[in-house]
Amino acid sequence: MTDARSAILTAVSASLSRRRGGQPAPDPDSIAAEAEALRLRAYATRPDRGPGPLDVSFMERVVSPGVAATAERVAGLADFPVVVRRYLAAHGLSPSIALQPHPDLLALDWSGIETHDRPGLDEPVAVGLALGGIAETGSLVFHSGPDAPTLFAFLPVHHIVAVEANRLWRGLEDYADAGAGHPRNVNLVTGASGTTDIEGTLVRGAHGPGHLHIVLIGGAG
Amino acid sequence: MSARRSFDARVRDALADPHLKIAIERTTGNARTKRAAAILSWPSYPAVRDLARDIKDHVIANLDHYLVQFERNALASGAQVHWARTGQEACAIVVDICRKAGVRSATRAKSMLGEEIGLPHALADAGIERVETDLAEHIIQLAGDPPSHIVWPALHKTREQVRALFLARHHDPGALETVEAMVASARRELRARFQAADAGISGANFLIADTGAICTVTNEGNAELTTTLPRIHIVTAGIEKLVPSTAHAMALLRPLVRSATGAELTQYTTFHCGPKRAGDRDGPDAFHIVLVDGGRTRMLDEGLAEMLRCLRCGACLNHCVVYRHIGGHAYGGTYPGPMGSVLTPIFDGLPQTRDLAQACTLNGQCQEVCPVAIPLPTLLRGWRDRSWREGLEPATVRWAVRAWRFVALRPALFRLVNSVAVRAMPLFARGGWIRRMPLAGGWTDHRDLPRPAARTFMAQYRSQRP
Amino acid sequence: MVQKPGPTPREAPNVGLFVTCLVDTMRPSIGFAAITLLEAAGCRVEAPLDQTCCGQPALNAGDRDGAAQVARRTIALLEPFDAVVVPSGSCAATIKIHYPELFHDDPAWKARAEALGARTYELLSYLADQRGWLPDQVALGATATYHDSCSGLRELGVHAQPRRLLAAVEGLALRPLAGSDTCCGFGGTFCVKYPAISNAIVGEKAGHVEATGAELLLGGDLGCLMNMAGKLHRTGSGVRAFHTAEILAGMGTGPAIGELP
Repeated sequence: MTDARSAILTAVSASLSRRRGGQPAPDPDSIAAEAEALRLRAYATRPDRGPGPLDVSFMERVVSPGVAATAERVAGLADFPVVVRRYLAAHGLSPSIALQPHPDLLALDWSGIETHDRPGLDEPVAVGLALGGIAETGSLVFHSGPDAPTLFAFLPVHHIVAVEANRLWRGLEDYADAGAGHPRNVNLVTGASGTTDIEGTLVRGAHGPGHLHIVLIGGAG
Repeated sequence: MSARRSFDARVRDALADPHLKIAIERTTGNARTKRAAAILSWPSYPAVRDLARDIKDHVIANLDHYLVQFERNALASGAQVHWARTGQEACAIVVDICRKAGVRSATRAKSMLGEEIGLPHALADAGIERVETDLAEHIIQLAGDPPSHIVWPALHKTREQVRALFLARHHDPGALETVEAMVASARRELRARFQAADAGISGANFLIADTGAICTVTNEGNAELTTTLPRIHIVTAGIEKLVPSTAHAMALLRPLVRSATGAELTQYTTFHCGPKRAGDRDGPDAFHIVLVDGGRTRMLDEGLAEMLRCLRCGACLNHCVVYRHIGGHAYGGTYPGPMGSVLTPIFDGLPQTRDLAQACTLNGQCQEVCPVAIPLPTLLRGWRDRSWREGLEPATVRWAVRAWRFVALRPALFRLVNSVAVRAMPLFARGGWIRRMPLAGGWTDHRDLPRPAARTFMAQYRSQRP
Repeated sequence: MVQKPGPTPREAPNVGLFVTCLVDTMRPSIGFAAITLLEAAGCRVEAPLDQTCCGQPALNAGDRDGAAQVARRTIALLEPFDAVVVPSGSCAATIKIHYPELFHDDPAWKARAEALGARTYELLSYLADQRGWLPDQVALGATATYHDSCSGLRELGVHAQPRRLLAAVEGLALRPLAGSDTCCGFGGTFCVKYPAISNAIVGEKAGHVEATGAELLLGGDLGCLMNMAGKLHRTGSGVRAFHTAEILAGMGTGPAIGELP
């Protein structure tokens, strides 16, 4: 009795064998070598963003029209709550945030702001710390884990995220090469949620956050 | 109704709809402009296209190897992997997973494969509530329409039509004076449904062989809410979505997104690897991946292997003169445009779908803009060849082609026929133009035909020679 | 009207002119213009008397056997020439690119098809690229716009050459056509098999042509030109259409497509 798995694999293998004119299938090592050669070809073809400092390149990219996040820089993580307070006031938001349960964030001074560790369905503001950022695309990188629930990046209306300047990767492959781990969820977040599904009109905040505010920590500036 | 009549009727309806023309041009024109700008600003693009083609060809040539590797790593991550030979089998697996887990309501992120296998119907038949969460899919779910584009499924809807739908069907729409208000209403409408869903069903843009992860490429945030909140995440994906590693996915992401929308990346590029882990604060308890063949192994065998490179970017649709005038519904299948014309005969059989490969000018712009260089005109010609070989072409066409060939093989007869034609045609002319001529209705219904010269080139040329 | 040959006139090649069935029947002046131009470019030109059709109708209908029959005949007819020149991108591409594909199972014919294909050219690109020729003392004071026929453009790379040639026509002002590289909706038998769709496509094209304000529409393929000119005339447009070869050969003062001599 053939099950679907063996039926499909048999059909694929037979078909590929016919395409090879009956030649045997390549061994896993040569397949891997070929895949590696292909992977290496990507480096020479990446968009050239210039050799300049990553933090400058990253900051340019995240506020560019294609990404449309807002951004600012501070000297150190200790300054992050100040930024958040100012953001809340500027947007007329209550001083109540979902705060990502990362030890570095929990250690900061959030006095005057009510913090809770889970974003509600209609959470107005969530505050987080990205694993890092990618300068090529202006993306933030989040890895799911005990101190980084996925939903922080998707439930709130406003997402305010700190990212360390020394945790920026130049390009997509540099992040992939870094071997930062294989969590359940990797999110590369590039700007605020948006849709053009109704008459091609761009609207921010379809289901995810309508506002992404990035705070770069440190760096030459 | 014959297949040809149905196709003609759908085309007629599409051409008669003035809103459709405006809607298609707005969306595809914008996409063409943005894509062109993105490509222009990337001098390496030709090399990238070659690389993207080579990556997909490498995977196709080693598809069995990568399927096994993916399954092994997905299982190791705690996912459950299922295999489906057909779309029906895939739906049965999804319904079975849902039934066993007592799923009453499932949210869905946009997946063309889900449409292809008929998942909406299967869920409805099983009494499972299906909640589309992608805004365009939500709109067409309310309207009961099929998708008309693979990236913008609701492009055929005007804002007035969307407003009317939302006013009628949303719980708390408000006045909906602006597009922003409509989006906000959809956000409100779906919020609680995200939470209430027992399962979230998504597709996958990539299947990463060396990690067993799947990758989704979206812009709204609904994919992550669909796949994180419920206790079960079910993925349905075609077996051709495999890539060797995350880095290879990234190499493909660049041309994919630029070709689709002109952007560099969509807002949310997410890699999903297995179910919730110890210590995770959110995520599904169970993660199921359904690998779907659904005709893909047949494509390997039937000269359509290059079609398996397809990244579903939609660039070919946006640049196709036929798609741009008749829109997606006229194609009568899940996928429209050039890629749809190549795929649909596989899913729905050539006899019912032969018009798709025929209703093409073979101009080649689709191939030119394809980020993985699929030779679409060649594949469409392949369907034409098969249609001829299998006797599916109408008798009138077979007769005409055979008559033409008969004459073309006999130069004296050819010259005679042409001489008769250039004497007969002027009988229908007024001045230099023919407005109407028997047997020429296909031409003269819409345009004038220039009257030929008094004598053919060959007649004049022969008489000039000593 | 003396036209200098190109900068490096090699030996005068024997050129076989494949006029195409459309030119033969519908507008012979294009064939005579081609002869004039090729001779001015230093070629010896002969149009083989027994030529008929390249076989595109059969090929595009999926009748590979029928197309192969016509192809074998055509190859044998054209093989004796040093070069084969065709005043049509689609017919040139059929011979150059599609004939070898027809014989992928037949090594002998495949070799003959490839050998012929290597010496087969679309007219305007042959004049500009192979002969290095430019018109000399050809004048036409008019505004024109140019449509790039798809086969010539995408299968044979014909794009810059017609423009280079036309730029040397004194007094001729070329205006860019929006969507010049977008299909006009002719597509061979497509325009009569799916007339409603073809009409929608050529309607859009006619609008773009009109919008340039140019007096003349030029191109390199008669099928496309007839399609566009026929639509323009039906809509009451005054735009007049010529094949580029006719303009280059000084026939631009004569009757355009659809005009009586």
